[in-house]
Amino acid sequence: MTTSLSTEAPTTSAPALEVAGLTVTFPGAGPRGVGDVVALHDVALRVEVEEFVAVVGPSGCGKSTLLRVLAGLTPSGATVTGRPVDPARGRDTAWMPQRDGLLPWRRALPNALVGARIAGQDRVVAEARARALFDAFGLAGFERAWPHELSGGMRQRLALLRTCLPGRPVLLLDEPFGALDAITRRRMNGWLAGLDLAGHGRQGGAGRAVVLVTHDVDEALLLADRVVVLSDRPGRVVLDLPVPRDGLDEARRELLGALDPQGRSDGST
Amino acid sequence: MLVRHRWRRLVAPTVAGLVLLVGWEVGVRLSDLPAFVLPPPSQVAVTAVEVAPLLGTDVVTTLTEAALGLLVGALVGLLLAVLIAAFPWVSDTVYPLVTLTQTVPTVVLAPLLILWAGFGLLPKVVLVALTAFFPVLVAAVTAMAAVDAEHAEMVAGLGGTRRHQFWLVQLPASVPGALGGLRVAATYAIGAAVVAEYLAGQSGLGVFVQRSRKGYEVDQILVAVALVAVLTGLLFLLVDGLARLATPWQRPSSLSLTSRPGRTPA
Repeated sequence: MTTSLSTEAPTTSAPALEVAGLTVTFPGAGPRGVGDVVALHDVALRVEVEEFVAVVGPSGCGKSTLLRVLAGLTPSGATVTGRPVDPARGRDTAWMPQRDGLLPWRRALPNALVGARIAGQDRVVAEARARALFDAFGLAGFERAWPHELSGGMRQRLALLRTCLPGRPVLLLDEPFGALDAITRRRMNGWLAGLDLAGHGRQGGAGRAVVLVTHDVDEALLLADRVVVLSDRPGRVVLDLPVPRDGLDEARRELLGALDPQGRSDGST
Repeated sequence: MLVRHRWRRLVAPTVAGLVLLVGWEVGVRLSDLPAFVLPPPSQVAVTAVEVAPLLGTDVVTTLTEAALGLLVGALVGLLLAVLIAAFPWVSDTVYPLVTLTQTVPTVVLAPLLILWAGFGLLPKVVLVALTAFFPVLVAAVTAMAAVDAEHAEMVAGLGGTRRHQFWLVQLPASVPGALGGLRVAATYAIGAAVVAEYLAGQSGLGVFVQRSRKGYEVDQILVAVALVAVLTGLLFLLVDGLARLATPWQRPSSLSLTSRPGRTPA
């Protein structure tokens, strides 16, 4: 009995999420594959439990496509090779779209409960947890508001709450604050960093893995434990950088260099 | 600016209507038309006051037929729309046929319905329902087909199945569309009931019109016509009000300003 326990120990260090050799091709207009667009080429990504990984890359590099594939949403018409290594984990993800996706006919609290309902959680329990989270997400007092009555920042926070509530082990966030103005976005990112979604070192191993897609290097450095840089289309992993505790400037320079290998003069700004 | 807007929307058509009525009155009096051809509006008004106490049961009958028919038609239309949205084969086989049947104006079917369903309430309710279900069906199907891909994807991204997408996104998204169709249907309902009553029945505004026609009482017919217009307007306002109550998230901005003061999200 004790030996079996010890042999099980390494399995707890299994990744929360892993893909290898992921290639996504969108069919082109031409015949026989002419004009096909390769969105992602041979991408490998491994995310540990309690790890917050940011994926950065230029616009159109396929980072949103990567996140969709991880979420089990196959882009329509696309050819995907290199499935997630453990396909059973597909149902363990919760994906948050770039736009909030709030349902206009549900008030804020029922909107927050959508994910929990899909996960088949008990309504009363989920609602109690949601009410508690409304406070932590700065939405207290707005439980009965309609989505259109909320500000952009509140809508995004509500969408994030909806994504977190089911307690899936992997959160996939697609530029959660990308549509907000610069000041609100900075404030949101500060708040998100304080929220500690990955639950580092939380007791009871309640932590989870987070994959955040962004085009903002500073956002990535602020929030993530590790930053993965994708190249221009077709997207390939060109840098996989753990975020250092100090010496952020150097990491920032390295990331900007990887993002824009030609124009280093731009990277210095 | 709002006052001027109101003036244009309310006062101007009222004045125009009054001018027409005065023209009618003066024209009839000057030309000496007999009252069994065209009575002046003043006589119609006098007749309206006279017959008003007698019209109660007729109005109740016609309104009952219209309301029941609308309800049945809306339910059938919504149910069929759901089936069409949920099962592609229903959409492929049933929808074209249903659309084809609309080439037959429903009032043409009234004699058949009376043959089959008798002289009572049923054939009228069926006729109103037949008239009402199509606008509801088309509006609901269109609304479900136009569902925001963003919402369906959000549900899928949280691990939702197609069933979840249907219950959480498609069905609620169809409600405003179906209610819009019901609003259109409400304007047909009383007319359809009255036409069905022309052919057979013991009471109802259509029966009243037929009786008046036999007595050459044109003033009474005109009273009934005016009453049908007023009832149709009231029914429309009622359906419109219910639709607003049922879709509170679709408040026009002016309403939400009054209903929720001091709620300025930060």
